[in-house]
Amino acid sequence: MSELENKVVSTNEQTDLFDFANKDKSIHDTKFETKPISYLQDCLRRFVKNKASVAAFFIILLIALFAIFEPIFDSKYQNNTVLQYNYFDRALPKLSIFEGTGFWDGTKKEGIGENEYNLNRFTDSNYDKYVRLESVEEVRTGFTTQMTYNVVIDTYAVGTRLIQISESEYNALVEYDKNQPEDHKIIKPQVDYNSYLNQYRQQLLDNGASSQVATQIYNNMLQTYSTNAQYYFALECNQRSDGSYIDTSFSPIYTEYDADKVGIDVQDIYLRDESGNLVYYTVSNGRYNVRVDYHDYFTYYYGYEPVFAFGTNQFGQDICLRMALGCRFSLLLGIGITVINFLIGLVWGAISGYYGGTLDLVLERITDIISGIPTIIIMTICNIQFNNNIELNNAVGPMGVIVLAILVAFVYNGWVGTAATTRMQFYRFKGQEYVLASRTLGARDGRLIFKHILPNAAGTLVTSSVLMVPSVIFSESSLSYLGIIDFTSSSIVSLGAMVSEGQQANIAFYPHVILFPAIVISLLMISFNLFGNGLRDAFNTTLRGSEE
Amino acid sequence: MRDTKGTLIYILKRLLLMIFTIIVIFIICFMLVRLLPDSDNPGPGKDPTTFYRIQVAIGRYYEVSPGQYEQLPLLTQLWNFIKNLFVPSTYMNSSGQLVEVSRWGYSWEIDYLQSPIDILFSRMTPTVLINIYSMFLSIPIGLLIGIYMALKKNKWQDHTLSIIVMLFISVPSFVYAFLIQYFLGYQWGWFSPTMADSSMYGWFSGTMINSMVLPVLAMSFGSIAGFARYTRAELTEVLTSDFMLLARTKGLTRAQATVRHAFRNSLVPIFPMILGQIISVLSGSIVIENIFVVNGIGGLFLDSINKRDYDVFQFVAMFYILIGLVGGLVVDISYGLVDPRIRMGGGKGQ
Repeated sequence: MSELENKVVSTNEQTDLFDFANKDKSIHDTKFETKPISYLQDCLRRFVKNKASVAAFFIILLIALFAIFEPIFDSKYQNNTVLQYNYFDRALPKLSIFEGTGFWDGTKKEGIGENEYNLNRFTDSNYDKYVRLESVEEVRTGFTTQMTYNVVIDTYAVGTRLIQISESEYNALVEYDKNQPEDHKIIKPQVDYNSYLNQYRQQLLDNGASSQVATQIYNNMLQTYSTNAQYYFALECNQRSDGSYIDTSFSPIYTEYDADKVGIDVQDIYLRDESGNLVYYTVSNGRYNVRVDYHDYFTYYYGYEPVFAFGTNQFGQDICLRMALGCRFSLLLGIGITVINFLIGLVWGAISGYYGGTLDLVLERITDIISGIPTIIIMTICNIQFNNNIELNNAVGPMGVIVLAILVAFVYNGWVGTAATTRMQFYRFKGQEYVLASRTLGARDGRLIFKHILPNAAGTLVTSSVLMVPSVIFSESSLSYLGIIDFTSSSIVSLGAMVSEGQQANIAFYPHVILFPAIVISLLMISFNLFGNGLRDAFNTTLRGSEE
Repeated sequence: MRDTKGTLIYILKRLLLMIFTIIVIFIICFMLVRLLPDSDNPGPGKDPTTFYRIQVAIGRYYEVSPGQYEQLPLLTQLWNFIKNLFVPSTYMNSSGQLVEVSRWGYSWEIDYLQSPIDILFSRMTPTVLINIYSMFLSIPIGLLIGIYMALKKNKWQDHTLSIIVMLFISVPSFVYAFLIQYFLGYQWGWFSPTMADSSMYGWFSGTMINSMVLPVLAMSFGSIAGFARYTRAELTEVLTSDFMLLARTKGLTRAQATVRHAFRNSLVPIFPMILGQIISVLSGSIVIENIFVVNGIGGLFLDSINKRDYDVFQFVAMFYILIGLVGGLVVDISYGLVDPRIRMGGGKGQ
């Protein structure tokens, strides 16, 4: 009952029982506790939420930094050309910290024949070609049994080589060599294979070989010695089981054998003077012929050790450096062409979309025709046409001709996509009330286009053009991969050309030549696509909450 | 009801426009190719008399004085070419017979004195076979993966597959084609790394099929990824629409509703894509044919560029352009035919 009474009382004497809230205070709008955010900040916030895009952005940044700074700090890059190292072609990837681990240290496992194994087993160079003998297998083919030696080969042990240098260079080298530790002496004794060969021929004749056979063996062996400076020991010709000679197959003459009858020492044939001292150089035509350990000579000559993080290609060029240059070219080309195409497409699409009607119809037909001819055809025609134009060649050089051909081929129909997007955006916005209002106030076409419509479409257009960068990089690398863009006459390095180079380097044996450029180009494509998609989603408010 | 008359008029209009576009493109291409520097002599081992007789007959050169030939002006060359297309002129061949000249010019380098049409058709089989195999592989697998991803939307299966699909869409085909070739072809040796010679083996012999596996795989990966992504996008959109709720409310199971209603509706934009794929069977991929040494149309195109065989180059280029335009047209028209909601040839406001 009391509740009811209370209610009655309350209705009757409202004014006394109730207080107005905040009676003495004046009420104002309170300030927002949260900060207002601009459109761009909102986009950024949404972009950051997309982890993959952020990661992609940083990968692009890393690749860009790599592309900018690697060639600057790399001493292998001089006068805009990548140095080519003799004897270090197709060296496998090697990092100094992995030295001797068998992983990323420039070694590879390979099965080789007995003869080849024995020939390269002994060396007076500072580095052994065969790091380790893993196992020996007997392979039966028909009636013959062949031994296969599974060895770990150090691709950086290039052995000793003959070089020709001037007297002053020789003296400097000798001076340098004095301070070298014993196992890193560069200069090796000369090999006197001529007198050995004469002696060996006589020996063959004495053993009953015909003079024809002996001469043939002599010539082949001379060929072997003169092209392989690392053979410092006496060779003999291998014999078949019936005693006849195999005139192209040689093996070292052993002077000592171990318990298993495996040769462990060979007889050297160094050049000696009258008193029996080793001779280290000969002079011909004022040049010094010196036999050097090429690995250490490389370090002396260039000032850095021959260590290539991603290996070298078949021309002895550092793949890491070339990759940086390739990324540089790809990024520059991608961004440059995107900007040009974007501007052309913007103007074209704006005119087509804003004016509409007959003009639109005509412009659309022209775009149809232009986009109907593929880039590959224009690229081919430009390439042939520009290369044969002597005046143009003289004016811009072979490099300029290629860049010009690429520019023409990529700009010629690259803007069609942007034009179509812009045209759609103009159709969307040109009928809006605010445009009408502005027009009523007397605004001209130019003002309507650039002040009212374009800014509204800008977000969509800019973000969609980000996706043009990977597509340009993709087309360029595909075309240079196919050889339609031919970079051989210029010093430009392209990732696509590197991949095709890797294919020519025989991918079955040297996959690293193709692998690293392929990885970088894939990384570039993936990150640009992810980044572009993330940007598009972030800028597009209507896509809020959905991932596609 | 479908507006049959309107549709027909629209198709006709598009066809006429396409023919107009093709003619203009052809004229541009013809001019560009004929402007390329061409050597006046036919090269070693080829009869110069026949060369010049043919060049005069196809209206490219004219005889200034006996034995002296010069190029005609470009527009005259074009006019002569068009005339030859309808009424071929004749020339006297090396054995003294009057022979009708080939309408599309001659190959001088790739296959001496063959017509580009014959060369193109002789190279078509490997391209078409590889494309058809890859189509039969990629369409069902792509659709199935797409459906699976849509059904498992935002679960780990979807995320994993999405990443793989994204990888295959982004990574250039020559990169994964190389990976396939290296591992399956060289390293593990399961399949022949390059295509076998078709003149030694039959098209359907074991050796041939074994050597075609790798190019077919390389071709398929890209389109599987494309189909999967597209199907997923379409199907997720349809799965969340209201009529699906209605279908479930009236008692259909999830599977029934998905197959009968959602999948059929999501096929509307996918079907044109499949049609486009069927038409592009004829053109194939230059990159993949190059990697796996397929003696197909892509290889012919590259050959014609490298050997500067301009008549063949022009013909193959026009072939590619034609396929591209017809493909685009068929896709556009099929959109309207498959989905009656899309008004054919509707104005800008519709």
